Amino acid sequence: MSTEAANTNRADMIVCENVDKWYGDFQALKDVSATIAEQEVVVVLGPSGSGKSTLIRCINRLEAHQQGTIIVDGVELTNDLRNIEKIRSEVGMVFQQFNLFPHLSVIDNVTLAPKWVRKMPKAAAEKKAEELLEMVGIPEQAEKYPGQLSGGQQQRVAIARALAMEPRIMLFDEPTSALDPEMIKEVLDVMKDLAHGGMTMMVVTHEMGFAREVADRIIFMESGEIVEVGTPEHFFTNPTEDRTKLFLSQIL
Amino acid sequence: MSEMTSIKTGKRPEEVSRSPSEWIRQNLFSNIPNTILTIIFGIFTLYAIRGILGFVLSGERRWEAVATNMRLLMAQGYPANQFVRVWFTLGCLMVLTGLSLAIWSGKGRLSVKKISNWVMSTGLGLAVFAALAPISASSRLGWVIAGALLIAGGLGLWQRAKNKTTETLHTIPTVPFSFGFLGILVLSLWVVPFGHYAFTNGELVAETGRTVAMSTKLPFTVMWLLLVGTYCLTNLVRESLPIAQAKACLVGLWLLSPFILNWIVLRDPDFDYGHIVSTDIPLAALFIFVGGGILFMLAKPSLGEIGRLTAIALLIFGVFNWVAAFFGWYPMLQKVRISFVLLALAALIAPNFAADRKTRLKFVTGWAILILISHWLITAVNSPSTLELQGPTYLGGFSLTLFVAILTLLLSFPLGVLLALGRTSSMPIARVLCTGYIESIRGVPLITILFFFSNILPLFLPQGMEIAELAAIVTGYTLFSAAYLAENVRGGLQSVMRGQYEAADAIGLTTSQRTGFIVLPQALRVSIPPLVGQAIGVFKETSLVAIIGAYDILRIANNVVPAQTEFLGVKREGLLLVSVIYFIVAFSMSKYSQRLEERVGLGER
Repeated sequence: MSTEAANTNRADMIVCENVDKWYGDFQALKDVSATIAEQEVVVVLGPSGSGKSTLIRCINRLEAHQQGTIIVDGVELTNDLRNIEKIRSEVGMVFQQFNLFPHLSVIDNVTLAPKWVRKMPKAAAEKKAEELLEMVGIPEQAEKYPGQLSGGQQQRVAIARALAMEPRIMLFDEPTSALDPEMIKEVLDVMKDLAHGGMTMMVVTHEMGFAREVADRIIFMESGEIVEVGTPEHFFTNPTEDRTKLFLSQIL
Repeated sequence: MSEMTSIKTGKRPEEVSRSPSEWIRQNLFSNIPNTILTIIFGIFTLYAIRGILGFVLSGERRWEAVATNMRLLMAQGYPANQFVRVWFTLGCLMVLTGLSLAIWSGKGRLSVKKISNWVMSTGLGLAVFAALAPISASSRLGWVIAGALLIAGGLGLWQRAKNKTTETLHTIPTVPFSFGFLGILVLSLWVVPFGHYAFTNGELVAETGRTVAMSTKLPFTVMWLLLVGTYCLTNLVRESLPIAQAKACLVGLWLLSPFILNWIVLRDPDFDYGHIVSTDIPLAALFIFVGGGILFMLAKPSLGEIGRLTAIALLIFGVFNWVAAFFGWYPMLQKVRISFVLLALAALIAPNFAADRKTRLKFVTGWAILILISHWLITAVNSPSTLELQGPTYLGGFSLTLFVAILTLLLSFPLGVLLALGRTSSMPIARVLCTGYIESIRGVPLITILFFFSNILPLFLPQGMEIAELAAIVTGYTLFSAAYLAENVRGGLQSVMRGQYEAADAIGLTTSQRTGFIVLPQALRVSIPPLVGQAIGVFKETSLVAIIGAYDILRIANNVVPAQTEFLGVKREGLLLVSVIYFIVAFSMSKYSQRLEERVGLGER
């Protein structure tokens, strides 16, 4: 289905044009422009400190960019609170450190936003949450607290929590970097299922296997700039830029 | 080998329970330094106990001074013909307690071993008492026998508990056990000759061989029956009750009970019904219907930015009314000013209820209840009391201490949380105002604030606005304590990780939802120890209200009782009793906070 869709002309979900972002005097993003189409899976690669996390955190305005435009699902990100709230309810995000709410049970973590942001009735929200927990493979943990789960389970709950808002876009900020090796696969499997289901995804990761297998396109960043963009075949077998080659030689 | 199997089956090895003699050997006499320490500390303890017992039981002590004045110490100067109001208040609290215990179904169980430990410790205490107290040989023997019996009973219990294997036999439910224990205490009032002391027509009556007066033991028995009766009755019908609603109702009743019992029952306000019909009821109706209508409109989902702007405009108007009243620019009833502020706050949270018609109607109903209760209370506070009083306040003694402490804590807690949020918020005006408030209050002694509110404040208030003495005390004390609570809460707020804010933002929660559901619950959990410390402080420092003329329990023990002709200069007994009472309350709060910490630690592991 994904390949079939890839051939048709799809709408742009995320458009970044000439985005600049500074932390004090340090420029974290330099003139970044990128476009992500509906149902596309884009993996952002790059050495640490290259601005890849900053870029996806700008897309749901956890960080504010200073210059350029970011348009998500047709809505431009400005300081207008309503736009930000609208975009955040359309964009799900999964963090490196899971960031589950430790004082709420798993089911409450998942149902909180649908109940209060989408105003969904409690029963419907819980039914939806149970389906999502089933999908990520941990239906039996619903009544537990995050502290009682393993890292991999926590990250899957975090994915379910983001999905509960029925987002049109999912952002993943190094979702497997804080996990023990044996738990990485269970999280990546869930992400693969999502990608095959047609979700628009932007993933910052160091998992080259995932990038090669799932990504439609790969964006390579260094020092706040986009160095190279291309399909996985192109990127892993025939990169054009020297900096990309250097990076690949260091990690592969 | 046995360890291997136990790992395979996943069964935890049984913990070996130690007998008391083994425990003593392992913990007190394990090696030479430990033995020396035990002996030195033991001698010191015995010496101290002997000193205290000598003081307490000395022939010079006049404990009848305390026994006679018990009513004075608990509820100073409350008119004797109206005293039934005090018992009614206590009765209401008993009924609420019984209801709560049944509804929350206290499933806690006490282990029999723990109880046997308590019994043995009591027996040991009696034996030590018998050995050290300066009493006659015959009564010494009596106490020794009682102590020995208790120790034997405790040991028997302990042995029985050791042999039982199932959980149900190991433990007994806490609630009935506590009821039984309280029952024994109440029963003792009827059978043990504590002595009957009273002032009858100004004459001291002291009958040592009797049980306590009927006016003491009968109400206490009724209180016990109310507690146990409510518990049992509620348990019977518990299955058919809507538990979630019952819990919400009970929490509401608990929060309201101090206000209602204090200002309506104990104070017995003399309502001016003409004024109520002509002014108060129309005002309340106006706020309920017009205010409710505005709120219903503001909770419209499609409203957007206009809602926020209206709420802010209302808030500015509400605050401005207070400034205007302070300078006397235009007259407005205090009640109306309070209502406008409430309306503004409700308007601010209105977007959270922007959903279907049912949710919005619920929101408006909540508003109507809030207005009804607040208007009723404001009217009650500002109506003169019918009681004929000797002192400046209708409460005195321990009841004053308790009421000031409870009301102050109830009111200053939300205020403190708001101040802490304001101080950490990103809005510069809120931050500056809250920081300024906290720092200026913390720079002023409590006594100054109490003086200010009881003496100077009435001069600033517009004419015709009364502020009851007790309301002045509680207001001042609340404003003071809120500043300190705010700093404790701020500590908790700083401990909440940045990732929690980001996660809440990322799932689309608004700022107020993020604060209420994510940040505050975690921050308050961390702040429990300092918050309880502050609460204990608030409770103990209520003794400062004596300085502005109120009669709290300490002042009565220190100044009033020693001034009676019968007990001229008898001070130490009362002070000892007061310290014991303060200790019991403060220690219970401390214990409760420990249990609370254990309970909320659940999610963290």
